[in-house]
Amino acid sequence: MATLQGQRVFPKVRIGVPLLALIWLAVTTMPFFFVLLTSLKTQEETFSAPVWALPSSLYFGNYLAVLRGPYLRYFGNSVFVVGVSVLLIVLFSAMAAYVFARMRFKLNKTLFGLVVAGMIVPLHATLVPIYLLTRNLGLYDTQFALLGPYVALSLPISIFILTEFMRHIPKELEEAAQLDGCGPFAVFWKVFLPLSGPGLATVAIYNGIGLWNEFIFAYMLTSTPAHRTLPLAVWDFQGQYSSNIPAMLAVVTMTSLPLIVAYGFGQERVIKGMMAGSLKG
Amino acid sequence: MASITLTNVEKVYGSNAPVIRNVHLEVGKNEFCVFLGPSGCGKSTLLRMVAGLESITSGELHIDGELMNDVPPAKRGVAMVFQNYALYPHMSVYENMAFGLRQAKMGKASIDSKVRRAAAALQLDQLLERRPAALSGGQRQRVAIGRAIVREPGVFLFDEPLSNLDAALRVQTRTEIARLHREFGNASAIYVTHDQIEAMALADKIVLLQAGTDMNRNGSVAQIGAPLDLYHRPASRFVAGFIGSPKMNFLPGVVKAVDEGGVEIELTTGEIVRARVDGRQTSPGMQVTVGVRPEHMNLADDGRDVQSIRCTVRLVEHMGEHSYVHVEGGHRTPATLIAKLAGDSSLTRGESIRLAVPARACHVFDDRDFALRRLD
Repeated sequence: MATLQGQRVFPKVRIGVPLLALIWLAVTTMPFFFVLLTSLKTQEETFSAPVWALPSSLYFGNYLAVLRGPYLRYFGNSVFVVGVSVLLIVLFSAMAAYVFARMRFKLNKTLFGLVVAGMIVPLHATLVPIYLLTRNLGLYDTQFALLGPYVALSLPISIFILTEFMRHIPKELEEAAQLDGCGPFAVFWKVFLPLSGPGLATVAIYNGIGLWNEFIFAYMLTSTPAHRTLPLAVWDFQGQYSSNIPAMLAVVTMTSLPLIVAYGFGQERVIKGMMAGSLKG
Repeated sequence: MASITLTNVEKVYGSNAPVIRNVHLEVGKNEFCVFLGPSGCGKSTLLRMVAGLESITSGELHIDGELMNDVPPAKRGVAMVFQNYALYPHMSVYENMAFGLRQAKMGKASIDSKVRRAAAALQLDQLLERRPAALSGGQRQRVAIGRAIVREPGVFLFDEPLSNLDAALRVQTRTEIARLHREFGNASAIYVTHDQIEAMALADKIVLLQAGTDMNRNGSVAQIGAPLDLYHRPASRFVAGFIGSPKMNFLPGVVKAVDEGGVEIELTTGEIVRARVDGRQTSPGMQVTVGVRPEHMNLADDGRDVQSIRCTVRLVEHMGEHSYVHVEGGHRTPATLIAKLAGDSSLTRGESIRLAVPARACHVFDDRDFALRRLD
C-alpha cells in the first residue's frame, strides 16, 4: 500500500517542486530582466512602449552616458572601500574567532555572547552616533569614512561564522604545532588561518556582496562624487524634476554585474557560510 | 636520548576526583616504555602531561634530570605521534616533516637532508610533494612518524598510533616502529595503547595503569615491569586479568594448609588444589582467589596422578591453530572456565572431562587481590 501511495504522490512532488522553483526563479529574475531591457531603451521608448516590451533596437547610449560620467570614479571608490573593509573584516574576525574558538579564559563565553549580540543592534539606531563620530574625527566625506562602520557592523556575523568554523579544526593540529615550536600567534598564522580558507572566503564574499550594495552609510557619510560609492551613482541621473530612468538602470546593471560574477564563482561558499550560521542560531 | 622521571604525579580536573594518582616512574635512556590499560585509566593524559599538552596538578616531571613541569612542549625535546596523525592538511608531506625544523630556524640544507633521510627510511621519498589527503592511512601514519623522527628528539611519544589502521597494516607498522626506534638515535619512547599484544610486542617496559577503586586505593600504576614479568608474575588480580587473552580464569577458595612447597586451597567448586606460591602471608581459613590461564590448562590423563577439575563442556570455539573450550566445572558451586586446547580437539557439548591444573600454573591472590609470590 505504501508503495502504491508513494507512486501516486511521487509524480506530484516531482512536477510540483520544480514548478514552484521555476515560479520563484521568475519572481526573482524578472526585475533584473526588466532592468536590463529598460537600460537598452531610449528615454522616449521607455515612456512610449509598454513596460515589458522588448527594445525596438539595442541602444547602448545609456551605458556610454554612464561611462562618460563619474561612474568609473565611483567604481574605484567602491573597490577601495569594499576591498579594504573586507580585508580588515577577514583579518580581525579570524583573529577574534581563533581566540573564541580555541583559547580557554574566564570571560570567553560572555565576550562571545556580547559580540554575537551585536548582530541584533538595528542599523538605523547607529546612524546618528556614527555620523557625529565621523564628523568629529574629520573623516566626513572621505574614502575612509565608510571603513569604520563597514568593518564594525560586519564583525559580529563574521566572527560568529568563523568561530564555528575554527571550532571544527581538530585540536591535535594545534597541539602538533605547539610541539613543533609554535606559540599562539604562529599557531593562528601558520595553521588556523590557512586551514580556514573556505570559511574566510565565505566571510569575504558574504560581506563583499553586502557592502558593495550598501547605500545608507554611503549616502550619509559622503557627499561629493569624488568619494561616493557605486550605489550612489544612480543619484547623478535623478534631477529635481526628471529622472533618466534607462540611464539609472544602466548604472544598476553595471553595478550588479561584478556581484553576479562573484556569486557565480563563490556561490557554494556563500551558502555554506549561511548554513554555518544557521546551525548555531 | 633522554631519561624521564615522574615523581608522585597527579592530575585533577577542576574540583573533580583525580584521574591520575601517585605515579612514580622511570623511563631509562633508549628504553621503549608502553603505557597500557583499559579505557579511562588516564594513559593518554599521562603521556600528554609528559608532552606538556596537559598541566601537572602535583608531582614532578624530569627529563634528563631537568624539571619540566612548566616548560613549554617545544622546549622539552619531545616529539609526538598522534592517534589521528594530526598532519597539516594544507602542507605537502615534505612541508609537514620540515615544519618543526623551520620553526627551530634550522638551515635549509640541513632541513632538506634530514627530511630526505627520514623519508627514505620510511619509504616516503616518492610521496614528498603530495598532500596528506592524497595518502592512505598507513602512509599518513608514516608521515606522522617521519615528522617526529626528523626532529631527532630525546623522547618519542606515541598516542595509540596504530588504532586507526586495519589489522594487517597495524602489524606491519608496529614492526616498523620497533625498527625505527632501534635505528634512529636511540631515543627513549613512551607508547600508549590499550592493545596488550602491541604492548607485549614492543615494550622493554610496560606500565599497566588502572582506574576506579583500584586507582583510588593503590594509585594509578597497577604494575611496572617487562612484558613477561607482567604475564608470569602479575602483582594483582587486575594485572592477571588484564594481561592475557582470553583472560585468566579466577576461582574463589579458602586456604586449607600452608607449607614450604606452597598452599593448599579448597575451591568453592569443591575441588582442592595446590599452588606453588609463598604462603607465609596467609593462614588456613583465609579467603583467596586462584587464577589459572586458559593456555595452562590441559586435558588430564586419567592414568596419571595430576591435579585436575572435573567439568562439563558447554561450548567449543575452533580457531584452527587452537580451540577455546568453555566448560562448567566443580561439583559444589559450578564455575565457568575457558581452556585453550589443541586446534584438533574433538570435544563436544555436554561431554564430561577433567582439566589438569598444574600447581606451578596456579596464581593465588589474597583477600585484597594482591598476588602471592610464586615459587617457580
